[in-house]
Amino acid sequence: MTGLLWKDEHVGGFGMAMGGRGRVLRPTTEEQIADAFAEVRRTGGSIALRGTGNSYGDAAVSTNGHVLDLSRMNRIHSFDPETGVASVEPGVTVRDLWRCSIAHGFWPKVVSGTMAVSMGGAAAMNIHGKNNFAVGSFGECVKSFDFMLPSGDVVHCTRESDPQLFHAAISGFGMLGCFTRLEIQTKRVHSGRLRVWGIVAKDLEHNLQILEDMRGQADYLVSWLDLHAKGKDLGRGLMHRADQLAAGEDPDGLRFFDPSLQDVPPNLFGVVPKGWLWPGMWCAVHMKQVGLVNWLKFRAGAGEERNSPYLQTHGAFHFLLDYVPRWHWMTKPGGLIQFQPFVPFQHGARVLRQIVERCHGAGHVPYLGVLKRHRPDPFLMTHGLDGYSLAMDFAVSSRRSKRDALWRLCHELADLVLDAGGRFYYAKDAVLLASSFARVHGDAAVATFRSLKERFDPGNLLQTDLSRRLGVVAG
Amino acid sequence: MASRSGTCIVVGASSGIGLAIARRLAIGGRKVALVARREKELRAAAALINDSLGRPAASAWVHDVADLDGAEPLFARIEQELGPVDELHYVAGVMPDVAVDEFDLGKDRTQVQVNMLGCIAWCNAAARRFLARKSGCIVGVSSVAQDRGRLGRPVYNASKAGMDTYLEALRNRLWRHGVRVTTIRPGFVETPMTAGLPLKGAISADKAAGLVLRARDGEKAIAYVPGKWRFVMFVIRNIPSFVFRRLSI
Repeated sequence: MTGLLWKDEHVGGFGMAMGGRGRVLRPTTEEQIADAFAEVRRTGGSIALRGTGNSYGDAAVSTNGHVLDLSRMNRIHSFDPETGVASVEPGVTVRDLWRCSIAHGFWPKVVSGTMAVSMGGAAAMNIHGKNNFAVGSFGECVKSFDFMLPSGDVVHCTRESDPQLFHAAISGFGMLGCFTRLEIQTKRVHSGRLRVWGIVAKDLEHNLQILEDMRGQADYLVSWLDLHAKGKDLGRGLMHRADQLAAGEDPDGLRFFDPSLQDVPPNLFGVVPKGWLWPGMWCAVHMKQVGLVNWLKFRAGAGEERNSPYLQTHGAFHFLLDYVPRWHWMTKPGGLIQFQPFVPFQHGARVLRQIVERCHGAGHVPYLGVLKRHRPDPFLMTHGLDGYSLAMDFAVSSRRSKRDALWRLCHELADLVLDAGGRFYYAKDAVLLASSFARVHGDAAVATFRSLKERFDPGNLLQTDLSRRLGVVAG
Repeated sequence: MASRSGTCIVVGASSGIGLAIARRLAIGGRKVALVARREKELRAAAALINDSLGRPAASAWVHDVADLDGAEPLFARIEQELGPVDELHYVAGVMPDVAVDEFDLGKDRTQVQVNMLGCIAWCNAAARRFLARKSGCIVGVSSVAQDRGRLGRPVYNASKAGMDTYLEALRNRLWRHGVRVTTIRPGFVETPMTAGLPLKGAISADKAAGLVLRARDGEKAIAYVPGKWRFVMFVIRNIPSFVFRRLSI
C-alpha cells in the first residue's frame, strides 16, 4: 500500500449552504480507492464518496470525515462508434461523455441540467433529465458496472447477474460501494440539433395540462415557472418541448456533430464573458428584484412562442445551468438550497398549488422553479414516480433565524408531499429528517436497503452528512 | 469558381478537420469517398453522414496512408465505383508526443510517411488524372507549424514543411493547366489530434472546414485558417534565428 495523501479541506454542497471540513483524497486508480477503504476501515473512520460535487445539499459531504473525491478518475476507456456503448471511469462527466459520443452521432440517453455531473454521481443518485417521463432515469441506460464494496472487493454487476445489487447500488447514494467503471448506453441521434418549441403556460393547471397533452409525443418537456406570480397567474411559466429529428430531416444538422458546436457559448453577444454575469444576478437577488426578472422572462416567452419551432443544439437545450458560470454565487454568502418534491399525478395540481401558496404566505418565494413530468423506475431508493416534480431554488439567508424559518417551511412542505405519497431526490435534498426516510420509500424498501447496507458495509464505512441526517443506519 | 459535381476524396476523414470537410461536402450534395485507417470509426462516420442526410452520400475506404503504393490503385477503384473524381482533400496527419530530449526514428518515420509521403502519393494520383482532364482541385492541409523549425516537434515541422513545399511545386506545375492546388495552414483547431493541448482561442473543426472550402472556392494558393494566423506567423517567421532558439515556443 502506498502512503495516501489526505488533505484537510472545506467540502461543500453545490448550493454552498451545507458543508464542513473533511479529509479529502483524490484517487486516480482503483487500487488507491481500495487502499483508502482499507486505511479508513482500520482507523474506524468513515468515508463519503464524491463525484464532481454537484449535489446541492450534503449528499457528498462528510463533516470531520474522509471524502473520496473521484473527479480525477475521468478516463473514457472506450466508446464503440457503432453501438454507442461507452466504458467510463466514475469521474467522467456528462460533458466528457457527450463530447466523445456526439462526434459519432450518439447522445447520452439521460443528462442533467448541468454537464458537470459525474457518471459515478449520476448513477449513485440515479439522476433524471427532461425526458424522464419517456425514458426513465440514468440507471436505465447503465448496462453494467464494476463496484468496489467497502471490503475492497470489486464485483462486476449487470441487471441479470445480480439484480438486487444492480438496482440498489444505482440510486443508493454511495452507501453500498464505489462505482469504479460503468458501461453506459447512449442513443443514436440523426441531427446535432433538436426541434424546440417555447409554449407560454398561463398558470399551474395550464402547465400540467401541456405536460399531459404532449408527453405522448414529445421527447423532452420542461417548464420554467415564475413562482413570484400569484392569484390567477400562480404557476405561470414557459414550457419547452424538444423533439429529436428524423434521418434526412435536418441535413445541415450534420455539421453539429462537431463537439465544439454543441458547447454552451462562453460569451454573451459574442463579447461579454458569461463568467462576469453572476454579480449582476447577485444584485437582483439581494436587492429583491427577482420578481421583476421573472416577470421580464415570462413576458419574453411570448416572443419565443411566436418564433417556435426553432432548431437548437442538444447542448444548448439541455445544459441551461451552464449558461452562466458560477451562477450560484449570486446567492452568497448564505448559498442556496433546492427543494424538489415529487408528487403523484393524482395529487399534482392540488399539492403543487399548496406548496407555492405556502411559500408566498411564509415570505420565502423561490427565485427559480422548474416543473417536470416523471415516471416510476425499478431502482430501490428512487425518487421516480408517476407524477410531477417542482424544483424550487431558495436563497438561504446568512442570518440564523431566517435560515431556520426556511428549514421549518421546507419541513412543512415535505409533510404535505409525503402525506400525498410523494418522494424526494437526494442529489437536491438539504432538509429531510430521519423521520421522513421510511415515508419517502416505504418500509419495505428501507428494510431491504438497510439489510444490504448491513451485508455489504457492516462497519458503516460509507457515510455522508445526508446519510446521518436521514438515519440510514438505524440506531 | 469552377462548378463541381464529381466525386470528392477526403483522405484522413475519420475525425477532425477531414471529417468536418467530408460532412460539408456531403451537405453540399457531393459524393464523398472517406479514406482513413481506422475502419470502425470510418464506417461509422460514413454511416452517420448517410443517415443524417437520408441519402447515400458517403462511402468508406479503409486505407493506411503510410502504404504509399496503395494510393494509386485505391484512387482508381474509387473512380471505378463512384465516377470521376474532381476534388482531393489530403487532411491525414499525425503529431505524436515527443519529449524535448527524444530522438525516436520510429516516430519520425511515421510522421514523414503520413504527413508528407502520403500526401505526395495521393496528390500524384490526383494530379495525373486532373492534368489529363485539365480540371480539378487539390487541397492539402499543412500547418502553421511548417513555418519554423521549433524545439518541440522537429519532424512534425519538417514533414509539414516538406508537404507545403511539394504542394507549392504542384500548384506551379498544374495551375497553367486549369488544375487548382490550395495549401491550408491551420492554426489552433479543436480536433482529436490536438486534444489535451492548451490551445487558447482554438476554432472548431467545422469552422475550419468552412474556411478550407471557402479558400478552395476562392482558388487561394495558400490560406491560413483562421486568417489571423497569417499575421501571427509573419511575426514568428521574422524572429531572428539567434532570438528564436532562445524561445520556448
